[in-house]
Amino acid sequence: MAHRGTALFAVPVLVLALFLVGCPKRPATTAASAPPPTGSPSPSSAAPSTTPGAMAPATAAPATAAPNTPPAPSEFSENANLKDVFFDFDKYDIRPGDAKILDANATWLKSNDNLVLIEGHCDERGTNEYNLALGERRAKSTMNYLVAQGVQASRITIISYGKERPTCTEHSEDCWAKNRRAHFLVKAR
Amino acid sequence: MHRLTHPGRPLGALVVLVVVAVLAGALSSPPAARSQAADVLLNVLATGAKKLNIVVPNFTVMAGSDTAGLSKSLPQVIARDLTFSALFSVVSDVPPVPAGDPNALRAAFANFASAGAHAGLLGLLTLRGDRAEVEMRLHDLTSPEYRLIATKKIDLPATQARRLAHKISDEVVLQFTGEAGVADTKIAYVGRVGTNKELHVMDYDGAGTARVTSNNSINLSPVWSPDTRSIAFTSYMRGYPYLYRMFPFEHRPVQVLAGFLGINTSPAFSPDGQSLALTLSRDGNPEVYVLNLTTGAFRRLTTYSGIDTEPTWSPTGREIAFVSERAGGAQIFVMDAEGANVRRLTQSGFNTQPRWSPKGDTIVYTSRQGNFDLWAISPDGSNLRRLTAGPGNNESASWAPNGRHLVFQSNRPGSYQLFTMLADGSEQQPLPRTSGEATSASWSPRLP
Repeated sequence: MAHRGTALFAVPVLVLALFLVGCPKRPATTAASAPPPTGSPSPSSAAPSTTPGAMAPATAAPATAAPNTPPAPSEFSENANLKDVFFDFDKYDIRPGDAKILDANATWLKSNDNLVLIEGHCDERGTNEYNLALGERRAKSTMNYLVAQGVQASRITIISYGKERPTCTEHSEDCWAKNRRAHFLVKAR
Repeated sequence: MHRLTHPGRPLGALVVLVVVAVLAGALSSPPAARSQAADVLLNVLATGAKKLNIVVPNFTVMAGSDTAGLSKSLPQVIARDLTFSALFSVVSDVPPVPAGDPNALRAAFANFASAGAHAGLLGLLTLRGDRAEVEMRLHDLTSPEYRLIATKKIDLPATQARRLAHKISDEVVLQFTGEAGVADTKIAYVGRVGTNKELHVMDYDGAGTARVTSNNSINLSPVWSPDTRSIAFTSYMRGYPYLYRMFPFEHRPVQVLAGFLGINTSPAFSPDGQSLALTLSRDGNPEVYVLNLTTGAFRRLTTYSGIDTEPTWSPTGREIAFVSERAGGAQIFVMDAEGANVRRLTQSGFNTQPRWSPKGDTIVYTSRQGNFDLWAISPDGSNLRRLTAGPGNNESASWAPNGRHLVFQSNRPGSYQLFTMLADGSEQQPLPRTSGEATSASWSPRLP
């Protein structure tokens, strides 16, 4: 064994040459022998398969097991009387200056008997999952403020979009500040 | 096993340390249970080499007509797999050896050995109808007789030829390290399609990408079930963020797992596949729950009035790490699987996305200190280390089933794309670029 090892390392130049020339290049050659990306799997692909090699498209599920379903977000619409409020980074408390905006929103809602959807949004930084929780907290803080001002909780639905629906897509603090918001939509009863 | 601690040659290189770590598992078993190949690798490393040199000649066609050129393409796939493992230096694109002629075979082996090869992997390819069968033969080229140390026949439909190659690669890694490789795995991820985000699945090396949702909404946080049959994910397909499960390889409808008011997010299958940890805000704020997938019962684990989210199971299923802002900003905590004995794991920064290694000894997470980068820490709070240091943001890691590789997202190319690296942060390399953004990768367990 030892003798053999010595013999191998007596030819380092050859070793180097062989293994440098032969080393496959990543990732440039990856596509060479790969089938072209298929994009969306064909829905008409015939035989149902349980082998992991073949992909099957997800079919739409029957609507089940979604208790207490509120009206779909798409049934709500914009209303110019309701203004957005904004949040500091990683915060969900209502800023003193924004309380006045919520006071005005509450006043309008008390004299207009609509259902209201409060969207909670975050800026693009950080985890999808954490931002979904943060957006939820922002919508909830906003809802709690309106309820404290006398808006019925039963009229309000909240939804968190995390960082998934920015209004501003530049990567700057100005833009991030615009995205950290609670936004209001309404639906007639 | 004394060879590893031999003082004669320092095993200074990082790669060698990785190899040694992998071999630790093989070495802890009785010597009689170890494969001959493990001894070959140990002997090679004891000489000071960083990797094992393996030659993978083009396969020999034994029967049938190789119209698809598999005898050349399969060894190329294997070469990439073995190179990716970081255990091997590979030479491929070599003419097939005369497997049926002992003298000629011996001469070929002698040539490879004199050029520095430590091992040779031969493939005997038989094409029969729509099936492709390869008999792989692994030879120790450091032994005078070039002894055969492993042989195995693998048979798959010819349309799954790449998988056939991946299975051979995983068998070679198994022979040398005592644990199969991770070439026969998939990666699920979120791909941007216009303004929507749809789930995609591809092979671990980026081949064979397929979109597996087409609901024209936002689909997030895919995670594989331990049996690799299903993917849990959050989707806005019905307007609100509910949690679903889809079956990417079966014609089977998507199931709703949790559809409560508020958020239904952050799925994590328990290691036994019987439960799913998740985040619900149905009780007023985001809390971590466990869903029993058999009974459908939800059990709440956390009770803090602010954010608790992003659960990840220890491989024993006895502990769960999660993110909480109970100490101020986002930090990572660990609790037992019933929710008791909560302890804080990270101390500074803004830390999210904990992912417990399948080996149990490491939790990788994303830390914001300026940009976002990946860090790792032991579950007891020791051994804190940084895995990435830019460029750009580096986030959302997912472990390969062997705990040696990570897939993660980085915006270093300008937009978010997927990258892989070894668990110590070395060997960072891009997966093939996708047309839109690619994020939130989940590395599957080994396919059955």
